Amino acid sequence: MAAGATIESSNKSGRNKASALQTAWVLNLLTDLAFNLLIFFVVCASTTPEKGRPQQVPSASKDKPNEAKPQTVEVALTRTTVTINGAEVSSKDFTGKLKELLDVKPKPEDRVVIVKSAKDTPYRHWIRVTGMVEEAGGVITLQLEEEKEVTVR
Amino acid sequence: MRFKRRKLGISPPYVSMADIAFNLVLFFVILAKTQDESHIVWEPAEAQGAKAAPISRVSISVDKDGLVYFNGKQAGVRDLAPLVEKELANLSPKDRAVLLKIHKETLASTFEPILEAVSQAGGEVVHVIEDERK
Repeated sequence: MAAGATIESSNKSGRNKASALQTAWVLNLLTDLAFNLLIFFVVCASTTPEKGRPQQVPSASKDKPNEAKPQTVEVALTRTTVTINGAEVSSKDFTGKLKELLDVKPKPEDRVVIVKSAKDTPYRHWIRVTGMVEEAGGVITLQLEEEKEVTVR
Repeated sequence: MRFKRRKLGISPPYVSMADIAFNLVLFFVILAKTQDESHIVWEPAEAQGAKAAPISRVSISVDKDGLVYFNGKQAGVRDLAPLVEKELANLSPKDRAVLLKIHKETLASTFEPILEAVSQAGGEVVHVIEDERK
């Protein structure tokens, strides 16, 4: 009788040990899983998608003002100002005035706007103005100043 | 009397294999996704019409000091056109996006030749900007 009781109690303690081991094993797995999920979401959060604006820039033309069509709209930028065909315009009126000029031209090839920037024009100013040109329906063409080599003797 | 030796049953830890595989996948995803450009200090310009930028193989950055970087490595403006052309070779027109990360105070004398180089190489310019706060 006593021997039977001892066997039973030893069986019980064995079962308890086994269940404790199993619990530890499952906990271990769950910790791994949680850690992996944490890494996954941290990686996802750290790579925030960038925002951008695509821009169609046809082949840039070198400085050849005589070859430009007389009807082509020319936008000139300096560090702080904008001009349309030589007349200074405030940034508030810019889109409206350019739209007036471009609405007369139904063909897309006639809606070319030549953008000429002074060397000290900052990018933040340039990107705002070119955005407004596109908003008005213009096709941007850059007019770059040609590099001239000067030999000093 | 002879004692029997216990046989050591060594089995691979199949349970942790899934974890290892998952970690490896994450590792390679991170490697593939990120070009390290964290050393380039620049601030994007604010403008309207910003959309989610497409995935691109080429990015050109200009930092606060006006230094030009091609895919995170410093480069000269004159070398950009051949570099972009080489990188975009055999790609369809849809995949020819070139991300331009230009610091907002960069002057036209620096960024216009970059635009020209991308245009020459047949890339599609995508300006990385921030939405303008109204």
